[in-house]
Amino acid sequence: MAKLKLALYWAATCGGCEVAVLDLNEKILDVAAAADIYLWPVAMDYKYKDAEAWPDKFIDVCLFNGAIRNSEGEHLATLLRAKSKVMVAFGSCACFGGIPGLANVADREGVFARVYGETPSTDNRDGTRPQTSFAVPEGELTLPHFYDTVKTLGQTVPVDYFLPGCPPATKQIWAVVQAIVAGQLPPPGSFVGVAEKSVCEECPRVKEEKKVTAFLRPHQVIPQPEKCLLEQGLVCCGPATRGGCGAQCINANMPCRGCYGPTERVTDQGAKMLSAIASIIDASDEAGVKKVVDQIVDPLGTFYRFGLPNSLLTRVRV
Amino acid sequence: MQRITIDPITRLEGHGKIEIFLDEAGEVANAYFQVPELRGFERFCEGRPVEELPRITPRICGV
Amino acid sequence: MSGKNSFEPRIIGFLCRWCSYQGADLAGTSRRHYPSNMVPVRVMCSGRVDPTFVLKAIADGADGVLICGCHPGDCHYQSGNFNAMRRYPLLMKALEQFGIEKERVRLEWISASESEKFALVVKEMTETVRRLGPLEWNRRVFQAGRRKT
Repeated sequence: MAKLKLALYWAATCGGCEVAVLDLNEKILDVAAAADIYLWPVAMDYKYKDAEAWPDKFIDVCLFNGAIRNSEGEHLATLLRAKSKVMVAFGSCACFGGIPGLANVADREGVFARVYGETPSTDNRDGTRPQTSFAVPEGELTLPHFYDTVKTLGQTVPVDYFLPGCPPATKQIWAVVQAIVAGQLPPPGSFVGVAEKSVCEECPRVKEEKKVTAFLRPHQVIPQPEKCLLEQGLVCCGPATRGGCGAQCINANMPCRGCYGPTERVTDQGAKMLSAIASIIDASDEAGVKKVVDQIVDPLGTFYRFGLPNSLLTRVRV
Repeated sequence: MQRITIDPITRLEGHGKIEIFLDEAGEVANAYFQVPELRGFERFCEGRPVEELPRITPRICGV
Repeated sequence: MSGKNSFEPRIIGFLCRWCSYQGADLAGTSRRHYPSNMVPVRVMCSGRVDPTFVLKAIADGADGVLICGCHPGDCHYQSGNFNAMRRYPLLMKALEQFGIEKERVRLEWISASESEKFALVVKEMTETVRRLGPLEWNRRVFQAGRRKT
């Protein structure tokens, strides 16, 4: 059987998804036996012009991680989509926007003003800003255009499969690689490497009745290891987050942060989480409810941590 | 003037581009290193609760 | 009503079947005038109103959203409206972070007999949203944020 042609690329990324692939440890040798990798900037020295020279549909599977932040990310997404038979949105940034998606609280000017001007450690008296085109004595230098809004991969090009996680759990990556090699993928458009239900199904803690009189911040409580974190007053996004990760964070005594995104039929993960949290507030009048709601200091950041670009509103109005 | 473009730089975390300009003798006249990426952590960490920062900032670099 | 202020707000109203929608009907049969800017959507209970509905209304072009339910303690399903009561302040806090003015999303308790209150709320909200101007989330926020130049 001919070896699969694989490409791995990163847009607005941290590299954690690459490390998750490397966390396959010795199984990476099985991947190398089944596939040839034609693009993987973190590990191999192929250039963009190599990718541009491939014929269309040359690559069997492209694992694309990172959110689309600028014109370079968009160009590579479009290019790799044309050059690949199967495009996988790999990791939460590509699937939902991820942590870089939080930048949708601002626009380009908001980000640039802070990064190149206001940060305390920056000394930029000339007000130098990146330019998309800049003349130097030898010629013209170019930089990508920084967009106002972060997009998901699916908002940029058609995507065949979504493999969420920040990063995706390595055992899920291995399961998906095996499915690819065996040619046993579900219908296009599916999420892969995920469980059917929410993280609560995978969570080993004891869940009784959820009636929260106060939401606590970490310095206010040491969580008991056996009991549901929500019941202890810690905001855990498990109810609104798809399982598949094995509840790793919860098993480390940390509440779920929602990186696997919403369950299948949910449109807006943040709205669902907001609804879930509100529904367990133990108060029967408006003043009592307000007192508890005031303890959730950052609803947008808490409920849309990994999925702001993927939400119904997609970004903040500036 | 000959121009050599290295795009992307590889085998490290992050995006980078190098433009090298050679003179007629084939010597390097000038070289420019550019970072074509920015995500804006400095901006979107503002307003987040302090306990979230140890969960957000590791996503600056996953390596 | 044309003229210099020709903006007609579009407000989506989620009215509970047992109280508020009946109150709205009563306003109609009593021939109480109120602006036609509010498009009613009947739900069985204000507790049925998922925050997703509010966000979707805004994303799809609503300038305002009104949620009406039975008074606390009078819910046909005992406690459904308490869910609305709990969700609303948290939703408003999130909407504030999104940059949406709080006057655009309103929760009111309106019973089946309160036709006058219903008409007043719709009138007030229409004028408030008219003063705030169009929200046009798709054009002004979504598409504007995606310009490539």
